[in-house]
Amino acid sequence: MKTNFIKTVGKIALILVPAITLSMNASAHDPKMHAKKAEKADCSKMDHSKMDMKDPVAIAMMKKCMNQSKASTDDMDHSKMNDMDQSKMKDMDHSKMKKTGDKKVNKDNHENH
Amino acid sequence: MKSLKLLILLTLIAAIAAGAVIYSGVVNVAADEPHSALTYWLLEQTRENSIQQASKNIEVPDLEDPELLLSGGVDYNFMCSSCHLKPGQTESDMSVGLYPAPPNLTIAAQSHEGHEHGDETQSDRKNFWVIKHGIKASGMPAWGKTHDDERIWAMVAFIKRLPTLTPEQYQVLTAVE
Repeated sequence: MKTNFIKTVGKIALILVPAITLSMNASAHDPKMHAKKAEKADCSKMDHSKMDMKDPVAIAMMKKCMNQSKASTDDMDHSKMNDMDQSKMKDMDHSKMKKTGDKKVNKDNHENH
Repeated sequence: MKSLKLLILLTLIAAIAAGAVIYSGVVNVAADEPHSALTYWLLEQTRENSIQQASKNIEVPDLEDPELLLSGGVDYNFMCSSCHLKPGQTESDMSVGLYPAPPNLTIAAQSHEGHEHGDETQSDRKNFWVIKHGIKASGMPAWGKTHDDERIWAMVAFIKRLPTLTPEQYQVLTAVE
């Protein structure tokens, strides 16, 4: 009776072990390939000097980046800034803050607008 | 009378042979086993002629509007790119696994091997028809069941420009606002 039970368990293990090993191999490729998440437009790489402003692709890209930039500005809730308690800011340690002059400002060649 | 008997006999033999092929399970339907050259040619000719016939009277709208690229780009990225690829990509799980292999739409239609694509208008018509109605037993869905013609034309406009796009341009055009 006991021998039969051991034999049955052995047979099940013989089937299950390769099956589990194979199923794990099936998911071995990069799962990132299946990840679909909404990405924002990377407008930093746009080279305006090389763009033909009559080309629908260039116009579409400009529109997308302008809309994105406008949307990110609109996301700031300025109305709530009136409620800021400025009296609590007197203890701010300015020495630990970065100087704004240290920031690199990206400039492009546009002079007209 | 004799020839009629022969015709009936031949029809009977053909029907028995067809039944034997269908019910014996001898036909391999696995996608990793390609068709014979003859079967492939027959299926491809049937498909191409059917699409050409069905799409010949479709009126193509102006596809130069930049707004079409923005709408079509987002849809292409979510609905098509996993099979038909993006600029800079040469293969995906779907493009390798599907049979027949989905065409790589990041290269110009003229560069695809095999069948003729016709002129630009004909190509736009065919793309619209295929996106809207899909293709049986090929993995290509009928997007017309869930998308209106306007959105499908936007995808056609985007696909038209796709072979000229760099990966950076593609990223900006297909990003979600």
